[in-house]
Amino acid sequence: MLRFLACLLLAAAAIAQIPLPQRYRDAGVVRWGSDAEGGAPFVYLDGQHPERGEIGFEVDLARELGTVLGVEFRRVQAPYEHLVQVLERGDCDLVLNGFEPTPVRRALVRFSRPYYIFQQQLSVGPAVEGVRGLQDLVGKRVGVLGQSQSHQVLLEHPGIEVVLYESNVTAYEEVVNGRNAASLADLPIARALRPLFPKLRDVGEPFGAFYYAMAVRRGEPELQSALDAAVGVLFANGTLERIYRRWDLWVPEEAKLGDAAVAETFARDIEERGPAPIDWGSAMQLLGLGALRTVGISVIAFALAVLLGLAVALLRLHGPRPLQWVALGYVELFRGTPILVQMLLLYYGLGQVPGLSMSAEVAGILGLALNYAAYEAEIYRGALSAIPRGQREASQALGLSTAQSLRHVIVPQALRLSLAPSTNDFIALFKDSSIVMVITVVELTKQYQMLANASGRFILLGLVTSGLYLLMSLPLAYLARRFERSLDRDHA
Amino acid sequence: MIELRGIGKQFGGRALFAGLDLDLLPGKTTVIMGRSGSGKSTLLRMLNQLERHDAGTVRLGEIEIPAGLPHGEWVKRATALRRRTGMVFQGYHLFPHLCVLDNVTLAPRIVQGREREAAEARAMELLKLVGMQDAADRFPARLSGGESQRIAIARALATEPEVLLLDEPTSALDPGSTAEVVKVIGDLRDRGFTQAMVTHDPELGRRLADRVFEL
Repeated sequence: MLRFLACLLLAAAAIAQIPLPQRYRDAGVVRWGSDAEGGAPFVYLDGQHPERGEIGFEVDLARELGTVLGVEFRRVQAPYEHLVQVLERGDCDLVLNGFEPTPVRRALVRFSRPYYIFQQQLSVGPAVEGVRGLQDLVGKRVGVLGQSQSHQVLLEHPGIEVVLYESNVTAYEEVVNGRNAASLADLPIARALRPLFPKLRDVGEPFGAFYYAMAVRRGEPELQSALDAAVGVLFANGTLERIYRRWDLWVPEEAKLGDAAVAETFARDIEERGPAPIDWGSAMQLLGLGALRTVGISVIAFALAVLLGLAVALLRLHGPRPLQWVALGYVELFRGTPILVQMLLLYYGLGQVPGLSMSAEVAGILGLALNYAAYEAEIYRGALSAIPRGQREASQALGLSTAQSLRHVIVPQALRLSLAPSTNDFIALFKDSSIVMVITVVELTKQYQMLANASGRFILLGLVTSGLYLLMSLPLAYLARRFERSLDRDHA
Repeated sequence: MIELRGIGKQFGGRALFAGLDLDLLPGKTTVIMGRSGSGKSTLLRMLNQLERHDAGTVRLGEIEIPAGLPHGEWVKRATALRRRTGMVFQGYHLFPHLCVLDNVTLAPRIVQGREREAAEARAMELLKLVGMQDAADRFPARLSGGESQRIAIARALATEPEVLLLDEPTSALDPGSTAEVVKVIGDLRDRGFTQAMVTHDPELGRRLADRVFEL
């Protein structure tokens, strides 16, 4: 009872002592941004009790911070890779999401004192032998969460082929299914996900000492001071240790959170620096490579979509009855479900089926082709139906079989009719091809995101990227128009 | 030559024909006449099975097509029949994506497997026959109605059919073009080519017919 009273007093004193900026007091709410996707143990949905909402040690921490600061901490969902931009846009007031103060991020936002010290854990797949550390992974594929501390660590080891993922779960899955040799992750994540991946093997001791800290906008030093003080209170009164022990995250290293040196790690280094310097030569080279990949993927995918779409349209109109249904089912299935889901199923879903696993590029091209084939099939079906009946009769009267009449008379005319809508679709696919980034293919848009995230130059790089897309799609549109005009000259 | 025996055809619930017999005489031009709705085009289209009959038999040489054949067998026999007949439509139905020469050589090359040079040489003779030898490189969209119909006749003759079926060949044409086309059909009749023609124009019918079949 006495201890309880003491705690209450301490909390009351803390509230009195910590000056939260007035606007947050007035609102009674501080919004913290985080990504619950693949977010164990930070913030995630409990698979067994999704109705209870998000749980995680940062959910507990946020609640305690709210208590200490006398406001409600309300969670805002945002993609991990864009947390800085979401914060800068004002959609949340702080980022609390296992967020590491990397140099790039520190140039953009202000960090609180660390609230957790984490280490790195390397894990390999069941079939990988002879790997004891990062030095043994040169020339091998290692998956990692994009823009994370683990990503930074890997970048300091040249020769490793780094593959970026938007969640640690998929990064681990790709090790289990053998696409990648290993994955490097923050220790808390590695521990939280271990039960899901019993086949993974941790190698070497956890290493390094890195910090999780909260990020606030550059212009809000008062909010940062308030968070610093609140973390200090929670460490001093044992709340942090209690939370971390509950989540099996307390390691001896955490005791250093109270050290003045640790507490002030980021305090000194917050002078205005603006965006990090950027090497425009290599940035342009990377964007150029991304553009080439975009062109390659789009051209191959569309060629396949045209062939498959034509086959589906012909089956629908002229195939035997059961195949007509199959063709109709194909169109409805691929038009009626999101391409994103199709892509994820094709790559990650089939990746779990032995023998059906394919490389990300192949899955990306196939996914785009399968999806666009459904749309092309509808265009061709319309065009085939629009060819006057007399054309079919004239070729029949000449003794052409159905197949010959389709091949030499009907389809060539239908393809001409389809040219304009089909070109339109090609330009659409060309831009939609950026969706392959969800299955780790680094094309133009993904390259842009990575460069922009690394440098903070979202606008300038965005304009360059848009310019590259235009540079590629405009000649295409021009060629299609010219081709159409030349057809008109012959036939009108 | 083509014989129809006991032909019956239902159309929209009523009998268009019943027990109809018709023989195309070799080397003669048969003109089928009748008021509109009498089924004269349907009858002509039965001769090459663009319309199926419901009763009776269509015969050309050893090809015999009784009513009610299973679909696959009917397609086989109908295609064989069509390969020995040529047809000219009221609306020409030239292939707009092919130039005049390719329109005429398509069937010989695809259906009969002729070499391109041989097919083109024969096509040029036919174009000359219909007075269109200078149009070989043009596309159908650039032709007048009379020119189109004369090329349609050349196309129909290119596979060396035993009989030419003409479905209202001049109904869509102005008088000048009609004269051009009538001259070609008249020349074919004079050379003893077997033809069957549908027309609603009695004067034209009498002029071209060796024999009139009234519906």
